[in-house]
Amino acid sequence: MEDIIAAISTPLGKGAISIVRISGKESLDVAKKYFTSKSLCYKNIIPRMLYLGTFNFSDGSKEKCMMVYFKSPYSYTGEDIVEFQLHGGNIITQLLLNEILNSGVRLAEPGEFSKRAFENGKISLDEAESIIDEINAESEGEVKATLMQSRGQFKRKIENLQNKLTECIAKIEATLDYPEEDFEKSAKDEIFKIVEECANEINEDLKNTQKTKYLKNGINIAIVGSPNVGKSSLMNALIGEDRAIVTDIEGTTRDMLIGSTEYRGIKYNYIDTAGIREAENEVEKIGIERSKQIVKDADVILFVIDGSREKTEEDKIIESSIKNLKNVINIVNKIDKKRIIPKINNEIEISALKQKNIHEIEDKIYNFVIEDKIDFNKNIITNERQINILKECLEVINDLQKNKTESMDIIAMQIKKLWNCLGKITGQCENEKIIDLIFSKFCLGK
Amino acid sequence: MDNFDAIVVGAGHAGCEAALALARTNNKTLLLSLSLDAVAFLACNPSIGGTAKGQLASEVDALGGQMGINIDKTLIQLRMLNSGKGPAVQSLRAQADKIQYHNEMKKTLENTKNLFLRQGEVTEIKEEENYKIITTAVGKKYKAKAVVFATGVYLKSNIIIGNYVKNCGPNGFSNAEKLSDSLKNLGVKLLRFKTGTPARINARSIDFSKLEVQQGEENIQNFSFITKKKKKNKAVCYLTYTNEETHEIIKNNLDKAPVFSGLIKGVGPRYCPSIETKIVRFADKERHQLFLEPEALSTNEFYIQGFSTSMPVNIQEDMIHSVKGLEKAEIMRDSYAIEYDCIDPLQLLPSLELKNHKGLFFAGQINGTSGYEEAAAQGIIAGINANLYLKNKEPLILKRNEGYIGVLIDDIVTKGTNEPYRMMTSRAEYRLLLRQDNADLRLTEIGRKVGLVDNKRWKIFTKKKNDLKKIMELLDKKYKVFEIETLFKENGESLPKESISLREMIKRNNLDAFKINQKLKAFDNFSYDVINEMNIIVKYEGYLKQQQEEIEKFKKNEDIVIPNDFDYTKYHGLRLEAAEKLKEIKPLNIGQASRVSGVSPADIAVLSVLVKKYKEEKLKEKNGKNN
Repeated sequence: MEDIIAAISTPLGKGAISIVRISGKESLDVAKKYFTSKSLCYKNIIPRMLYLGTFNFSDGSKEKCMMVYFKSPYSYTGEDIVEFQLHGGNIITQLLLNEILNSGVRLAEPGEFSKRAFENGKISLDEAESIIDEINAESEGEVKATLMQSRGQFKRKIENLQNKLTECIAKIEATLDYPEEDFEKSAKDEIFKIVEECANEINEDLKNTQKTKYLKNGINIAIVGSPNVGKSSLMNALIGEDRAIVTDIEGTTRDMLIGSTEYRGIKYNYIDTAGIREAENEVEKIGIERSKQIVKDADVILFVIDGSREKTEEDKIIESSIKNLKNVINIVNKIDKKRIIPKINNEIEISALKQKNIHEIEDKIYNFVIEDKIDFNKNIITNERQINILKECLEVINDLQKNKTESMDIIAMQIKKLWNCLGKITGQCENEKIIDLIFSKFCLGK
Repeated sequence: MDNFDAIVVGAGHAGCEAALALARTNNKTLLLSLSLDAVAFLACNPSIGGTAKGQLASEVDALGGQMGINIDKTLIQLRMLNSGKGPAVQSLRAQADKIQYHNEMKKTLENTKNLFLRQGEVTEIKEEENYKIITTAVGKKYKAKAVVFATGVYLKSNIIIGNYVKNCGPNGFSNAEKLSDSLKNLGVKLLRFKTGTPARINARSIDFSKLEVQQGEENIQNFSFITKKKKKNKAVCYLTYTNEETHEIIKNNLDKAPVFSGLIKGVGPRYCPSIETKIVRFADKERHQLFLEPEALSTNEFYIQGFSTSMPVNIQEDMIHSVKGLEKAEIMRDSYAIEYDCIDPLQLLPSLELKNHKGLFFAGQINGTSGYEEAAAQGIIAGINANLYLKNKEPLILKRNEGYIGVLIDDIVTKGTNEPYRMMTSRAEYRLLLRQDNADLRLTEIGRKVGLVDNKRWKIFTKKKNDLKKIMELLDKKYKVFEIETLFKENGESLPKESISLREMIKRNNLDAFKINQKLKAFDNFSYDVINEMNIIVKYEGYLKQQQEEIEKFKKNEDIVIPNDFDYTKYHGLRLEAAEKLKEIKPLNIGQASRVSGVSPADIAVLSVLVKKYKEEKLKEKNGKNN
């Protein structure tokens, strides 16, 4: 495929619409792959006409959006351009971009649309300066963003991985370039151990890109607690509708109740469970099994207790069943009454009935999942470019693992490719690093 | 004053190739050497080739150079290194008869039309309009339009053994004391590097019964694509090791080692350290490997590879005598370190011409490199480009994907070097394509274009190319299962269900074209070289394609030329650090600019916009004038 680039071309954050722009010779093929519309037959597509239709994700989900096609040379870059316009909000937009990037389209470099426009004569010489500013500003922004990520943790981790690979390469290269020296030769299984380590780390990192999953599907929040601590009233307070029944009769909410709201652009799915406790009859048993599963799958657990009474046996059973989980927020309800129980770590005092401190819960959840605590002290990769690089790395690794029997020169070539991929994140691509290591680690020469 | 088209200063491995390239393209060429006995002298290791270096030697040959032919004629042992590690890293290594190697090259020079070999020390270079005036120590003056400096390690060189320091070149040859000052006067920035060579000992004093023998191989590829005969091995090498006692002696005398006492100030290569450096830097290594290599068939002298030192002689003796098999070794020549002047190669264009000094070219160790093959590679390019300069044509610049020569020159002129630069396969991005076996396919057409490939070589080349085409056409031929049964069983391959093509057979892990030919006689009409080439192309098809794709991307930026008069500091947008670096290096294209250290991808994006803007403004101006 010819070099096709894509990017979100509206500012991130809340806006009425957002636009994903694709530029390159075969942009329309990308549209064909994903976009369908009753009023559109690609053979007779009319340039600069806005088509309303559906973007079809490869996982089967669909999103309503609009598509417009600019035919070369009558476009911003001078190349064929396809733009998808969809509802504002980061989530869907990012997912849509992600989907496109999985089909061989490359994420645009900083300022690249303008650069192409300039190269194709669409932007005059006088405007060249502004493109340069754009390139500089955007690349600076990216560098900053990388540094900001978990305070540079991600970059450091990739650097570590790359350093391990550097050692591995240095060892291989030393044996290849100095076949007559008698140092310890690099064994293939040792190499593949390191490759596997890389694979695991990268897979882990990519898992953490689930932020986008949260963005698409929302955050799943399980509300647990003994009967009558006020789970259902909390639910009502959170979703602001009368969807949960507020009652004191034990077992009323045995069947799961689900309610959703949106907070700062993200869907919050609250699930009220039947409480985790020993069931007395069959029906209850099923309900309780299900609620255990929900707790396991939840992104965040709200553990509700009644602050106006001593902890019951049941409170304690539930507490101990979730005590090893790190994604728990303790909710002390009924603070409109006199508080009896002592302070708990990581608690929020609320009154569901009086709607007190409800927003604090929402904030806390947001911080928990979206900001630095995401996936609990592991890494989160926010930058699309990095996600793509990591995916590229995995491809190389898969290839390597499939072809373990290849000769050493080929294995070296593929490992070097992997090293270069990681270098795109760390900024460290200088071959000289490897050569330095060869000489510092191995005693070579006549 | 004597007039020439071109003058080459120095007749080492770079100078010989440069002079031959110039003379063979019909330039009246003067080749000056400090001593005619030092022509193509193998001052250190009596061998040619090795990893990456074998590739360089064959590339020089493919372009129409002499090194490959010369070593094929004079080698006494040949081996293929890395034969089990894949085609990308396989290299030939030959032991040379160093006396024959020198004799043979000298004879070639003497019998080359347009070439004038003459002894003489150059003391001065002056530029007068379009001419260069060269003065020698005895007062002779020569005039030419182009000069190639290939002075090796002879500029203000000092030999150092313990406290003994002598102003001379390698092996006691006289050196050039004045030329580096004259270069400085031209504005050339000099560096000071160091290297060394081990002792030579007498074979009659070596107890060979205690040593491991290292045999050569026969019936493998030659260095030169026009050498027909497969050479017979006439000598063997030996292997021994240092031991605790050796290390003790060295450790006890470190204060007398000039590399540690401060006497040696030049920067030595990390890949070729003296034994004392190895002992200090790799203290936990119990022994170091030593190779004993015969210097020539007509002498008893043996070279001790791995034992270079600048220790005082009495300590050298003790060190050698501590080694198994060398207990009674008689030293014939002492080991020494040598310090010398060279130039900072960042001052050169990729054509090896000095920036802002048209017609002055530099090649070999004077450019801060190390090794005979690296020297020859630069020599032939400097010779070719001096000729193209004389004929007013565009210079030849090999790209990194075309040959190790391209990698070598691009590295030194773009990144510079702070130690003698040695070629390694790990420096090449596309080494699966830059193999020794296909150097001719990569470069002979280029050699023909620049006038160095004669009809004989061209005929051999076109035949190989045609044969390769023919053999590739055979590969779809299918064989029935019963026809290949024994072949597959003997090689531990599972039998296919249906008939199978030659191509698919070659791709099998345990098979190759040679094994298949043995049984099926499918390629009997083809030479070893052609079968070998085809075998690699088929077996590594996927990976070769992958590298080819990378090259396509790489070439995009290589093709965007930066105009010679482009001013990096004039425009806003380029970071100051990048602008200054680029101004110094003056890269020829965006690709080269991207390899300058300290230049970021964003700088390159900015630069490509600026360059385009600059070009368009120029075009407008020109059109404006025309109107």
